[in-house]
Amino acid sequence: MTQTTPKAQSSAEQAEPGLRLLGIRKAFGSVVALRPTSFDVPAGTMCALLGPSGCGKTTTLRIVAGFELPDAGQVLIRGEDRTYDPPQRRKLGMVFQNYSLFPHMTVAQNVAFGLRMAGMARAETEARTRRMLDIVHLPQHADRYPHQLSGGQQQRVALARSLVTEPSMLLLDEPLGALDKNLREQMQFEIRQLQREIGITTLLVTHDQEEALTMSDMIVVMNRGEIMQAGSPTEVYERPRTRFVSEFLGTSNILACAVLGADGGSLRLRLPGDDQGSGFTVAAAASRPVGSTALVAIRPEHLQVKSVSEAQPEAPRATVSGHVFRGATHVFQLQRPGLDKPLLAYRQVTGPVGETALSPGAEVALTWLPGTARLLEDEIAPEVGA
Amino acid sequence: MTAAAGTTSGRRSPLGAGLWPVLPAVIFLLLFFLLPLAENGLQSLYVTGSDGKAAFSLAYYVHLFSDAYYLGVIGKTIWVSLLATVICILIGYPVAYFMVRHAGRWNGAMIFLLVAPLLTSIIMRTFGWNVILARNGVLNNVLQGLGLIERPLRLLQDPSAVIIGLVHVLVPFMVISIAAVLKGIDTRLEEAAELLGASRWRTFREITLPLSLDGIATGAIVVFMLANGSFLTMLLLGGGSVVTLPLLIYQQFLLVQNLGFAAAMGNVLLVLAVISLFIQLRLIRQDGAVA
Repeated sequence: MTQTTPKAQSSAEQAEPGLRLLGIRKAFGSVVALRPTSFDVPAGTMCALLGPSGCGKTTTLRIVAGFELPDAGQVLIRGEDRTYDPPQRRKLGMVFQNYSLFPHMTVAQNVAFGLRMAGMARAETEARTRRMLDIVHLPQHADRYPHQLSGGQQQRVALARSLVTEPSMLLLDEPLGALDKNLREQMQFEIRQLQREIGITTLLVTHDQEEALTMSDMIVVMNRGEIMQAGSPTEVYERPRTRFVSEFLGTSNILACAVLGADGGSLRLRLPGDDQGSGFTVAAAASRPVGSTALVAIRPEHLQVKSVSEAQPEAPRATVSGHVFRGATHVFQLQRPGLDKPLLAYRQVTGPVGETALSPGAEVALTWLPGTARLLEDEIAPEVGA
Repeated sequence: MTAAAGTTSGRRSPLGAGLWPVLPAVIFLLLFFLLPLAENGLQSLYVTGSDGKAAFSLAYYVHLFSDAYYLGVIGKTIWVSLLATVICILIGYPVAYFMVRHAGRWNGAMIFLLVAPLLTSIIMRTFGWNVILARNGVLNNVLQGLGLIERPLRLLQDPSAVIIGLVHVLVPFMVISIAAVLKGIDTRLEEAAELLGASRWRTFREITLPLSLDGIATGAIVVFMLANGSFLTMLLLGGGSVVTLPLLIYQQFLLVQNLGFAAAMGNVLLVLAVISLFIQLRLIRQDGAVA
């Protein structure tokens, strides 16, 4: 449970993680919110806790903030044990989901609040507040009240208020949930840029996979109080370990394939609906028994749809059942015997949008580059083979 | 009549909506509220002279505001109501805070306990205090039994009994007004303040209290107006030691039968209520932008 990462203090002092959770566990009554959870956030990076509601990400954040005490485990912020410190003493900045700006205070008073609580001299407080409002591009709004600001401006004030005290860590709780799409994208970049400039360790809680992908250095995917996978955005996106991760982060075609044989570091599998044929190979860390079922994930952007004449004769076939034009991509729905859900395939629009030769009803061949089909670790109960 | 002003006013008519459904209420109010008010107003402005003829005159009001005794009564009325209001705030705020933030599943039970006394008649409750505060009542017996006092204290027929009686009757209104506003305050605001380094007490003083002023204002106005108009408590617990406007009205109306003068005093009480309401509307309009 209290498994420590190999690089402890022994090697280098500066490698101290900005945040380290060790075996954090939390239950509310009989409901387990968080199973023993451990992870490190390297100093100065942004880590996203990603998962559906009720997955334990908010509980984790609240434990880091000090609003909840864990039943077991440790919270280390910059190497210091803060597990039982009250929120006041943790020196954290936090942007709440609805910004939680103090409605009875002006923008400047909101930003200055933390400095005032720290007992800073008035002149210094004012100077720092002004500088911070400059940084978030709101110098002319200092005397307004929160309700007089737009959502994006409130967001910036909340950010300024949380950063002005120069906290040791920044916590973001679904910070962009209330903004419309364009503003959200803009704020994603702004927050990310500011975070990098200041170099502050940041924990971002979100259920929005796009937000997690664009903003963070590291993603921790959570489900039902457990970490499903942790790693860099590309790592988690390209090498999802489980069905949950591959479907929660992006879209995936999940195929239950029969294992035909194992060969060293790879498995030979057969698509559902194929009675014969030599199947295809995927890389596998561990062997699986022949005849068992293994789950394979293929991203829609990796699934190439070709006309039957272009493809090799043994390539699997499918029938186009739907086509949507999304501007930058074509989305195809493909039907195949043996599958209960249609497959999805994206094709980038590379030139002028002419007519696609693939109208509904057309028979097509499916191919993918080796390495883009990922074997998932999920255990599948032995069913009737496809 | 004047006490009713506190409960029926303060609502805004829904403009633009169909007016037909509210017609019965409008007629009712016209017949039983506005007409008597007008009648009351007229009565206070016509003084019957020595020749037996009623003539338009401000004499009652002049009398009311030039006589030191009556001015004292008006002052006392306001003072007693203010005192009761302040005590209700001091008692009511902690109760409301506990109810909203800590009672959890006992919240419903607390609301019931608060409201239950309102279901018994005010006369019953006042007589209850009589039993407790009387010369050989419960409180004096207990204090004597404990040896804390030698002779029974004079608790009844005393301003303190009036204040106790008023606070008892009116504190639920304060609690409910404050609780309603406290419930609407996002606890994340308090968390934000704590994370920014504010202690529990500072958080309360800087965030929770300012944001709940609205509830205090509403409760204070309601309690003040009800205390202003309360009559039975003054009569039964004060026993003449606290003479307020309602008590004077009662005397003028029933004992002296000077209806015109009683009407004038009633109107003064009504104006007091209207002023309180105006202050409340002002307060809420200022804070309303915040919500």
